[in-house]
Amino acid sequence: MPDRGPRGQRLFWPLLALPGTVWITLLFVAPLYVVLAVLFGGVDPILRQPVPVWDPLQWNFSQFDYVLGHIVGPDGFFGPALVRTAVYVALASGVCLLVAYPVAYYTARFAGRYRGVLLALLIAPFWISYMMRMLAWVNLLQNDGLVNRVLSLGGLYDVHVDWLDGRPVTVVLGLVYGYVPYMVLPLFAGLDRIPAAVQEAARDLGAGRFETFRRVTWPMSRTAVVVSLLVTTLPMLGDYYTNDLLSASPSTSMVGNLINNSVLTPGQTGQAGAFVMLVLLVSIIPMLIYVRATRSGVEVQS
Amino acid sequence: MPPVEHDSFGGRSLFGRPMQRRSFLKAVLAAGAAPGLAELLAACTGSGTGVATTAATPKIPSPSNPVRWPLSAKHPAIKAGLKPKPGSTLRIYNYADYLGPQVIKSFEAKYGVNITVSTFNDEDEALTKIASGGLGLDLYFPSYDSLGKLVGAELVRPLNHAYIGNIANVWPQFHNPWYDLGWRYSVPYSVYTTGIAWRTDMVKEDIASRSNPYDVFWDPKYAGNLAVIDDWHTMMGMVLLRSGIHDINTAKPADIRLMHNQMMDMLSKTHPRVTITMYNDLPAGQYGLAQMWSGDVVNAQYYLPKGQSADVLRYWFPSDGRGMVDNDLMVVLAQGSNPVAAHYFINYMLESKIAAKNFGYIGYQPPQNSINPDELVRDGFLPANLKTATVLPHYFDVGSRLLQLPPKADLAYHQIWQEFKAGA
Amino acid sequence: MTSVARTVAVPAAQTRRLGAWFRDPWRKPRILAGVTLLYIGWSLLPVAIAVLFSFNAGKSRTVWQGFSTRWYYGDPLRSVWHDPTLHSAVVHTLWLGLLATVITVPLGVAMALGLDRWRGRIPAGANAFVLISFVLPEILLAVALLFVATVLQTPLHLGTVGQVVGLVTYQLSYPVVIVRGRLLTIGKQYEEAAIDLGASPAGAVRRVLVKMLLPAIFASTVLVFADVIDDFVIVRYLSGGASTEPVSVKIYNTARAAPTPALNALATVLLVSSLLVVLLGFLAYRRFTRGERRSIDVFAGEA
Repeated sequence: MPDRGPRGQRLFWPLLALPGTVWITLLFVAPLYVVLAVLFGGVDPILRQPVPVWDPLQWNFSQFDYVLGHIVGPDGFFGPALVRTAVYVALASGVCLLVAYPVAYYTARFAGRYRGVLLALLIAPFWISYMMRMLAWVNLLQNDGLVNRVLSLGGLYDVHVDWLDGRPVTVVLGLVYGYVPYMVLPLFAGLDRIPAAVQEAARDLGAGRFETFRRVTWPMSRTAVVVSLLVTTLPMLGDYYTNDLLSASPSTSMVGNLINNSVLTPGQTGQAGAFVMLVLLVSIIPMLIYVRATRSGVEVQS
Repeated sequence: MPPVEHDSFGGRSLFGRPMQRRSFLKAVLAAGAAPGLAELLAACTGSGTGVATTAATPKIPSPSNPVRWPLSAKHPAIKAGLKPKPGSTLRIYNYADYLGPQVIKSFEAKYGVNITVSTFNDEDEALTKIASGGLGLDLYFPSYDSLGKLVGAELVRPLNHAYIGNIANVWPQFHNPWYDLGWRYSVPYSVYTTGIAWRTDMVKEDIASRSNPYDVFWDPKYAGNLAVIDDWHTMMGMVLLRSGIHDINTAKPADIRLMHNQMMDMLSKTHPRVTITMYNDLPAGQYGLAQMWSGDVVNAQYYLPKGQSADVLRYWFPSDGRGMVDNDLMVVLAQGSNPVAAHYFINYMLESKIAAKNFGYIGYQPPQNSINPDELVRDGFLPANLKTATVLPHYFDVGSRLLQLPPKADLAYHQIWQEFKAGA
Repeated sequence: MTSVARTVAVPAAQTRRLGAWFRDPWRKPRILAGVTLLYIGWSLLPVAIAVLFSFNAGKSRTVWQGFSTRWYYGDPLRSVWHDPTLHSAVVHTLWLGLLATVITVPLGVAMALGLDRWRGRIPAGANAFVLISFVLPEILLAVALLFVATVLQTPLHLGTVGQVVGLVTYQLSYPVVIVRGRLLTIGKQYEEAAIDLGASPAGAVRRVLVKMLLPAIFASTVLVFADVIDDFVIVRYLSGGASTEPVSVKIYNTARAAPTPALNALATVLLVSSLLVVLLGFLAYRRFTRGERRSIDVFAGEA
């Protein structure tokens, strides 16, 4: 085997990483600049299609100002949608955590020989189209669907609830249903790393069930909780199709709907860019927290 | 020729022509890139084309201002005497469920051409996708309020009348329509009215007997039980009609302000669903009342669940014809690679038998001389309870049409629509 | 234990037994087990029902009207087999899945290996961006790429090319994260041993590392494929017309219009194909890791 000099060896790793790095730069980082160019550009007068402006010195901030100006204040009609997004996402994430934690805990600690099967069942939603899962729920939530039939106890009394007429409850529960599988797995991985011996030791030393949880399990699972919350919450911020499928009403629209409605509307494409930038700015800090948390989590692994 | 600037990215305008960026931008910004609503209303004086700009403003046709479009130099009409190539593809761009599948299959069988139908949800989205150029679409079904934009941006190809002899089957008023004198670019596809549809089993009152039926959309009694059409101009036109404003293309600031307030009022009083799938949702019982196109309510009878009689459907349109009436068109797009097949398809759709078959599938009435609008019930096209969904030719004389708006008004309307869709 | 016992009031024998059962820290966790089973039921039941209704004899998706396979094959106009729009959607989806996976996995594995060993600011930056793309709301990337496709004249245009590029960019983080995690567990000793024995870095990678990374590589292939065929936002924005609309977009478009059980059949066909791929991946994984300790955890994306 020809002996590659130390320089050749040193170049080997960067060369391996180069295609991927180039790809990410060209197709992830650079398009963000295109968004800025469209946002700070203009529109053509006939079809009102976006006309990007590449030179930052010539950027025109009117579209961005328009969006910012309409978030709060008397003209602030974007504000409610943004607030709604924050509320729905917070509620949905909270419920996801409440649901996912016990499930992940059970699978990590007590599943025993059924662990493989359980994991397969927990991973299964990933292999089922999100659309299909939502569609399944739309069916169940229809006026003559299973949910109303169960609630009315098979026709014993009349349940006058039209779940699909634009209720926040339906949208939040839809978000929970859609995103909870994303939370279960990182939680499982993190809880799995907590050695059972530590918990058993706490019990041996006299701590009750809740106290063990509060003083041993919960602190040790904090990183995992943070990571799984981020993995679930951040993608939820861009969701618009759950709202579209479960409630066609503007009164539950989220920031994803604002983006979706404006991106193909002539004259409003730049505004879509503004919302994209806003969501990006809001999620930058959580994303950096995620980056740090995964790095530290990964280092903990032996 | 003035010197042309290229920036370092070699960016070009959408039409592939390099542009003088600075002066073009000034013109663009003068033409109105997103000022506030208040400034817009202040600038909208009367009903005109607004502030003149250095960039081309498209001519806006109206019944009192008919327009003959210039023939496109860049995309001339196809030569006569050509035949569609068997095995080639015809790309159609249309609303979903707006073209009968048997009609498509019979055309494919007759000419050996493969047809693909791409769908859009609303015209804004369609225009954006067409403008991006990369889709190679041949045939498009717009309404006439987009025609000016399409011609101005040179996206359509003028028709060669030699291929479209069946135009003789079409109502005479469409042989020289005000929006396209000499039918240079378009033929009519369907005619329809926009009214209110409801189910008698979910809505106990007779909407038609109200003095102002449009009021139901503000009646809290129906909150959560109604839907409006997800098309900005159609829905906003209804808001204007409710207040007795028959110029549904008004650019008067007072009218626009009134419309804005009424729409926000509607959101808080009845939180309507905003959709274009009424033809499925109303029969499915998802709501009992909807603003609806006449063709959709006719179509809805086929979406009723088994065992549900079509008797429950009702439709209201002003009996004097002073409501919203429009027609959709067929145009040949310049970007397509199969304009010959497109011409043949247009001619095919204008054949009486085919138009009638298509009517049976999509529910929308074609303006065919062979179909007597007074006798649609007798001839089996409409059930008796939906006789009001007929489109009579004289509606086009007295009704309100959705026209293309001048740029500033267009922007103001879109901003209000955006606010409406963002929810309260 | 004693303090807890003292604070409990003295109830009847039954309740005391129940209370004692509840407080016993060594009992079997039946409540947790119940919760888990309930979760799995809630999670998968709607899908099971949707699959069931794909075999409905009638047009309804909520009322059972008998068993039939008409929506798969029988109905001459609207079944998945005969309706050209539905069946082209399936073909296009599988094709996208194949293309995107075949590009993403090698690119990602190479990137993971390289980033792990390369020190400096560029790799740190690249690593940060990869992690960011892991949690990024998909609509941001979709809109950005849509702008690139419509506003610039580049080889990236709407249609299959745009969709594949968008999917690869979005999925690249999966193999990178999984393989890096696995690399950390493996450690450097095997590679160093190989180099001590005379292999070049490339040879060490090829003969030692790749074999040890096979579970992670398989896991990422399966995960990327499953994720790509279910993707919605990116493929919808970058689609170029009816022929490039995958199943998820068809379901979305049709669900809001006039759905028939053919939609359920469509989704079921896709479900079965992705399960088949997962099964194949799992079997291949078992074959390649014969004799080694292995766990299904790797398919969860964890080492």
